[in-house]
Amino acid sequence: MSNFVEMSIAKAINAGMRKAMHDNEKVLVFGEDVAQLGGVFRVTEGILDEFGPTRIFNSPIAESGIIGTAIGLAMRGYSSVAEIQFDGFIFPAFNQITSQLAKIQNRSEGFLTMPVVIRVPYGGGIGAIEHHSESPEAYFAHTPGLRVISPSNPNDAYWMIQQAIASKDPVLFFEPKRRYWQKGQVNLDHPPASMHTAQVLHEGHHATVAAYGPMVAVALQAAEIAAEEGTSLEVIDLRSMSPIDFNTIITSVMKTGRLVVAHEASTHVSISSEIAARVTEQAFYHLEAPVIRVGGFDVPYPPAKLEEKFLPDADRILEAIDRVMGY
Amino acid sequence: MSAQESARVPMVQLLSPDGQYGVPKEYAEYAKYIEELTEADFLKFYRDMAVMRRFDVEATALQRQGQLGLWVPAIGQEGAQIGSGYGVGHLDHIFPSYREHGVAITHGIDLMAVLKMLRGVNHGGWNPDETRFHLYAIVLGTQVLHATGYAMGVKFDGKVGTPNLADNQAVISYFGDGATAEGDVSESFLFAATNHAPIVFFCQNNQWAISSPVNSQTTVPLYLRGSGFGVPGIRIDGNDVLASYAVTKKHMDDARNGGGPFMIEALTYRVGAHTTSDDPTKYRTSEEVEYWKARDPLDRLEKFLRRQGIGDSFFEECDAAGEAMATDIRAQTFALGEPPIENMFQHVYSEPHPYIEEQQQWLNNYEASLEGGAE
Amino acid sequence: MTQLAFFNLPDVGEGLTEAEIVTWMVKPGDTVKVNQIICEIETAKSLVELPCPFAGVVTELLAKEGETVEVGRPIISATVSDGAVGSVSVSTTSIPIIDEATAAAAHTLVSDAAATVAKDEGKSPNLVGYGAAGHGASRRRRPATGAAAIAAATTHAPVAAPVAGEHNVIAKPPIRKLAKDLGVDLTKVTASGASGEITREDVMGGAQQASVFRNLTTPAAPSAREERIPVKGVRKAIATAMVSSAFTAPHVSIFVDVDATRTMEYVKRLKASTDFAGVKVTPLLIMAKAMIWAVRRNPTVNSTWTDEEIIVHNFVNFGIAAATPRGLIVPNIKDADQMSMLELAKAIEQLAATAREGKTTQADMKDGTITITNIGVFGVDTGTPILNPGEVGIVALGSIRPKPWVVDNEILIRQVTTIGATFDHRVVDGDVASRFVQDVASVIEEPALLLD
Repeated sequence: MSNFVEMSIAKAINAGMRKAMHDNEKVLVFGEDVAQLGGVFRVTEGILDEFGPTRIFNSPIAESGIIGTAIGLAMRGYSSVAEIQFDGFIFPAFNQITSQLAKIQNRSEGFLTMPVVIRVPYGGGIGAIEHHSESPEAYFAHTPGLRVISPSNPNDAYWMIQQAIASKDPVLFFEPKRRYWQKGQVNLDHPPASMHTAQVLHEGHHATVAAYGPMVAVALQAAEIAAEEGTSLEVIDLRSMSPIDFNTIITSVMKTGRLVVAHEASTHVSISSEIAARVTEQAFYHLEAPVIRVGGFDVPYPPAKLEEKFLPDADRILEAIDRVMGY
Repeated sequence: MSAQESARVPMVQLLSPDGQYGVPKEYAEYAKYIEELTEADFLKFYRDMAVMRRFDVEATALQRQGQLGLWVPAIGQEGAQIGSGYGVGHLDHIFPSYREHGVAITHGIDLMAVLKMLRGVNHGGWNPDETRFHLYAIVLGTQVLHATGYAMGVKFDGKVGTPNLADNQAVISYFGDGATAEGDVSESFLFAATNHAPIVFFCQNNQWAISSPVNSQTTVPLYLRGSGFGVPGIRIDGNDVLASYAVTKKHMDDARNGGGPFMIEALTYRVGAHTTSDDPTKYRTSEEVEYWKARDPLDRLEKFLRRQGIGDSFFEECDAAGEAMATDIRAQTFALGEPPIENMFQHVYSEPHPYIEEQQQWLNNYEASLEGGAE
Repeated sequence: MTQLAFFNLPDVGEGLTEAEIVTWMVKPGDTVKVNQIICEIETAKSLVELPCPFAGVVTELLAKEGETVEVGRPIISATVSDGAVGSVSVSTTSIPIIDEATAAAAHTLVSDAAATVAKDEGKSPNLVGYGAAGHGASRRRRPATGAAAIAAATTHAPVAAPVAGEHNVIAKPPIRKLAKDLGVDLTKVTASGASGEITREDVMGGAQQASVFRNLTTPAAPSAREERIPVKGVRKAIATAMVSSAFTAPHVSIFVDVDATRTMEYVKRLKASTDFAGVKVTPLLIMAKAMIWAVRRNPTVNSTWTDEEIIVHNFVNFGIAAATPRGLIVPNIKDADQMSMLELAKAIEQLAATAREGKTTQADMKDGTITITNIGVFGVDTGTPILNPGEVGIVALGSIRPKPWVVDNEILIRQVTTIGATFDHRVVDGDVASRFVQDVASVIEEPALLLD
């Protein structure tokens, strides 16, 4: 028997962090406005009351400083969960993440490890101003030494944040901010899978749709509509953007022969680009159609009044399905 | 601000360029650290400075003979490094930039570890936990934030300001005048100040960031840089090994005992090139170099020691120690050999990783497929 | 022992490719020490003094002042004692060492040899400042043909849609795979797809030797798996009479000689066909197809007798008697009637392989509906086959060999065989038995009948 509780993604991340903080007193949570306020999305709400200011504290508004000091704390034996307030604010920390955090284990030939989790609320769909709706995951997935994951539902959120904190390697934990309040059942006793395993959420045989984070719900919706139209879609929640679980994708493609990959990020040199390339390498003779990428356009994230046209929706995925089914 | 003008800013100098020891009234608090030293300590300072210089000469030659990809000379900065290195306690952690060969000597780092890195055998690879001397940082200023975070951790661990003085710890971070322009250094001041972290920021102002003079990095003396963040500072004569030792020791003691962060600007001079790929004749005058050579840190300590009655035999012994070290590292460098290919794939992640395993396997197969490869 | 050491011009500034010798500070005959400055060079970055890497006596300056030298070329040679080079005895790429005897033998070649040492070692780690220009010699073993060659040659396909022409093929990957397996040259195939792409059907049609069965419109099999005919009346009477008669077993056997020349030609053509590349094609395959065809025309030979009823199977589980180390066994190919010629050929091959390996399972031998026994492979013309229990028909294929045969009143040498068959007389009367065997024989005489 398992103990199931209904909660939102935001609450599930919060619960997962608390569990990790209980299990390991070296786990620290810090970032901008995370303490008294509980973060601008309230994901860290209540942690200050429960654990006190030695375990969770506000940092100065300096992202490079947040990650740079998290690195130093890791060298001292602490596991930091650092919050970057919004996706578009991660870039001041880019140098510390890619040139330091990602490489220190390698540079030290394993004498040092970097158990640092960087939580990043990401993606659009909330009508925000500039720099508050971006999907910068591909920058980090490109960097060796980092792990990059994103939950799409409360159960994954609860478990994957704990798995990320338990990892000795740096993990970029991208939180689908427009799904923060999406509720679902959380199994408090058993994790669904490792954080780097993709999961088939909906079986089908005509074509495969792979997505992650906020786009998973859209992909599932597309599968429902397609089913009504007589097209059977297999939906894969990638869950991990680095490493990508190619086996699950390729197994599905060998079955369906057709693949559409969807995400909010701009498509040029994106997670979907990498998947298209790998599937071409590993499942060439199984492809009945080219792999189609469905993503944001290669423009700066538009003003909120246009984001609906920027973000892929179920129809955009289905348009791609029409194309792959046309071959 | 020219180097000469910069030199007019008040600074702690206990040993004049002609080797006279004297403590100005305003710096009396530092005198006790010198008074505690024995003759053996002074001789050790000199010997290490001499060895550091000889090491630099040999490493430069090895680069010119095709044995190192690059060398980063530190000639002229021996006083700042050996002095401050000995001012750091035996539990303290040191976060160097990439020119701190002298500090490495004072903490027993095998210099071959540095040469291995510059030969391209690895990216560092010594154990920072064990040596307390962290890895060289190539991207300017990054290590200062790591040092600050480490110092925050020391404080979280309750290892600061306890009555048990021998148990307390502090952190020192080295960086250059050029690095002060990096945001990471300013953020470090801020994080250190707001956390009241036990850290000393030791800036070696060697006047040049490759070809950019210090006045392109700052318009006020660098020791003032931290003050706006709540990090007080002082300038020392970086070519005075005694000032460097005493001031570092005092402020590390203070940090360890809960005094918070502090900044030391050691005014010194990069007599050599930025690296072996540089050509300083293109951007600075020989007069300037001569001005600083006249303030050489070894010369002035030698004058001081001779005045104390130390004779030729000691200096000859130092030369011999330097030669022996040079012969040794030369032989070791030639013998370094080539790292195994699998090193490239190691320690990228802490656990087996699908891409790494797949690519390593591919490379093994590919190498085996080549002529001369394993069948 | 004295050796000759060379100093190859190092890369003194991260990625330089050459330098000019500005001034020599030593000359042949001079004694040099380790780290003694021997010359000044000018690189693209700066003026640099070079310290000597060894101690010895200079024998030759290998570059003149004012000369621009590539990184990796020797610039000076000296006689040295063992161990004089940086305290190591091994020759390194930047400082190659050659025995003096070798040097004396071909003095003018010495510097070239030294350079060759450097070049052959390529970017050896012993030479750290190795310059940006150097490339090690290729060590790749060139694959002669095949997949690797294709991969090497076509890593980057052209992007722009090419102008229509014989080499511009539009086909999706599984179609290309099919074509490759069948040996079909896609550039020779006429595309019928809406976008000008080659379809599966195009590839099949493009095979050099068309399979007869691709164009065969076999009558559709009844949808029901079984058809049950009540045993009553005359049939029941015959059965009862048969069993209770003098027959110990109600077997009836008939034989017919047949000209199998066209079958042999057909087999030969199939073997040459790209469709059947790598697949074993024998007269047995044609015989199997002929029997399946004849069963369609004479369904009762493909039945089971149960005393109460005759179960006529509208499917063919085609048994093949196989002599194996553990005796005669009769595995069968399930639903053989649904198979194309190619599929059937593969199935027969698989069945035989499984039997040979002794891996035939009980399931493989269950539920057979009709059987062939290929006694011809033992060199005999024919025999009286015994029914496989539960079946009512079995055919024996004798050896096929040249014999005199009357064609249009002339005696010709033809490939002749004898078809023998045995039936369960309770189910199959003589007329059906004869018709069935005659049908099989007609196909063997004229395989084109399979086009019916």
